[in-house]
Amino acid sequence: MSSKRPIDWALYAVFVVLIMLAPLVMDSFWLNRVAKYLVYGMLGAAIALSWGYAGILNLGQGLFFGAGAYMLAMSLKLASQTSLQQGSDKPVPDFMLWNAEPGAPTELCCINKASFLWLPFQSQWFGVAMGLVLPVALAGILGTIVFRKRISGVFVSIITLALVLLVRLVVIDAQPITNGFNGLTDLGWFKVGDLEFDPYVVPTYYLVAVSLSLVLVSARLLVETRAGIILQAVRDDQNRARYLGFDVPSYQTFFFAVSAAIAGFAGMLYVIVSEFASPTFMDLTFSITMVVWAAVGGRSSILGACIGAILINVISATVSETEGFAEAWKAVIGLIFVLVVLYLPRGLGGLAHDLVDRFVVRKRGGGERALRVTSTSSQAAE
Amino acid sequence: MADTALTIDGLSVDFEGFKAVNGVTMTVDEGELRVLLGANGAGKTTLMDLISGKTKSTSGRVFLHDTEITNWEEHKIARAGVGRKFQIPSVFKELTVRRNLEVASCRKPGVFANLRFGFGADAKRTVDQVLELIGLTEEQNQVAAYLSHGQTQWLELGLLITQNPKIILLDEPTAGMTQAETHKTSVIVNNLKGRHTIVVVEHDMAFVREIAERITVLHLGQVLAEGDVREIETNPKVREAYLGTKGIL
Ligand SMILES: Nc1ncnc2c1ncn2[C@@H]1O[C@H](COP(=O)(O)OP(=O)(O)OP(=O)(O)O)[C@@H](O)[C@H]1O
Ligand SMILES: [Mg+2]
Repeated sequence: MSSKRPIDWALYAVFVVLIMLAPLVMDSFWLNRVAKYLVYGMLGAAIALSWGYAGILNLGQGLFFGAGAYMLAMSLKLASQTSLQQGSDKPVPDFMLWNAEPGAPTELCCINKASFLWLPFQSQWFGVAMGLVLPVALAGILGTIVFRKRISGVFVSIITLALVLLVRLVVIDAQPITNGFNGLTDLGWFKVGDLEFDPYVVPTYYLVAVSLSLVLVSARLLVETRAGIILQAVRDDQNRARYLGFDVPSYQTFFFAVSAAIAGFAGMLYVIVSEFASPTFMDLTFSITMVVWAAVGGRSSILGACIGAILINVISATVSETEGFAEAWKAVIGLIFVLVVLYLPRGLGGLAHDLVDRFVVRKRGGGERALRVTSTSSQAAE
Repeated sequence: MADTALTIDGLSVDFEGFKAVNGVTMTVDEGELRVLLGANGAGKTTLMDLISGKTKSTSGRVFLHDTEITNWEEHKIARAGVGRKFQIPSVFKELTVRRNLEVASCRKPGVFANLRFGFGADAKRTVDQVLELIGLTEEQNQVAAYLSHGQTQWLELGLLITQNPKIILLDEPTAGMTQAETHKTSVIVNNLKGRHTIVVVEHDMAFVREIAERITVLHLGQVLAEGDVREIETNPKVREAYLGTKGIL
């Protein structure tokens, strides 16, 4: 175990250096694209944390991503030119005006019944704070209920799945304050002091790349704390952990919430680089896609799941630019997923670990058993 | 007379009309090793479930020394000083043997208290000793999933020893073991004698003879007899209860 740690960290370092160097070889169009993929990478890491380390397969991670995205998008919407040019010195989102009742005051406080909820979002930092607070609060409440009730395995997945669909409907339905299907578009740029994060410039790329690096390293450190190790024990055998005296639901809820915070953070970064927030973030397909990324990259490896997400998206983008391949590519992704699930239950990250085992641990003479921990032992955790 | 470590007073559980444990009253002294005997379905495992909080009792009380722990949450009962080994061996399969024991050495129940690195020097010492005692020092860096059945059972015993509870409940610690493995297990259990109060469920009479002081026989959820090995073996009620079964005594 300990013999592999330096190698793991070396891989993190290589990854960080690579993403930091990307601006040297890419034009602003690709840089913006890759920034989005790095955000997806962050989502992959969030999935690995909850699925691989906590044993909680969240099929509704899009809920937290969407929550983060909408919170910041509300602030950026109010900062946009289109909101400021409404014949008032106070910003009002354009879609609220289009749909306002005749004679309604053109003020954020009261243009419609719920528009006052937008008031505090005039401060960008309130939006940022809410982008973390809302996902964490949702995950905290959901986790407390679900894990205290000892719901586990596939039932948690079904609950998360149902919840993301429910919230998606609510968001679409709350058209007067969310702009329904169309989502929030025409956003202003994120600002820190005088620095404006135009999505197509290098500093914006670095905002994402540095954020991702910090998230990866923190998540990795977190799972190496005592709490992180106990969490893995909980994943392997909840009851055993309970009878050793651990308050099992507190571990599950905490890490579920951390995973949600990462997804919310990713949602905010996505809004900065893509300039919109939409209910599609809470589509079922998107949440499932995240799980596929993590499965291919390796759910038991934070870095592996992150790289899986980036790799799949980079390949997708390249391939779908080739005429006629776009449709076939979807089938290829599906096929890769099936093959990985069948033959590489721990994904590419797991494969890398095994190779390291074979070459490093063997050489040191400790590895007659360079066997893989197969899917059976990890699934038996439920 | 030693202090009483565990007091069970009229404990019952009703599974929709079926009383798997029915008015069991018994006391176990501090440092004692008590064997629970009984045919399949006599209620031995259920009794342990009731003591450790896995199953909630419908009447009766359980005391750990002077603290009533009846129907507390499992992890609180564990923190109060009750450790338990399951009939089906359960360890943390994807963690190494050493990691398993380190987890057990951790004294803080909640997540926030454990947001720090390392388990400390005390833990290291304890873990080394326990590895020695359960004979898994060489396997310490192996993932627990690769251990043999016997080794897994010893690792689970090791978890309990590391946890260091006042009372250890062992449910069939030698189930599925070879003779040699059974013997090694009795050495480990004998080693714990005196340091912990131990309650063991066991069918294997050879093992019982190696470790037993006092035996309590359960039958149909009730206490049938209590005494030392010889008294139990010659007790007519016990013989009668086992008549027709293959007579494990
Ligand atoms: N949750 C439950 N609901 C209903 N009946 C139960 C439940 N748990 C146990 N029982 C029943 O209670 C009886 C006692 O079971 P228990 O597992 O305690 O027996 P045991 O003495 O441990 O037997 P064995 O030697 O086979 O392990 C059995 O008839 C069992 O079917
Ligand atoms: Mg039993």
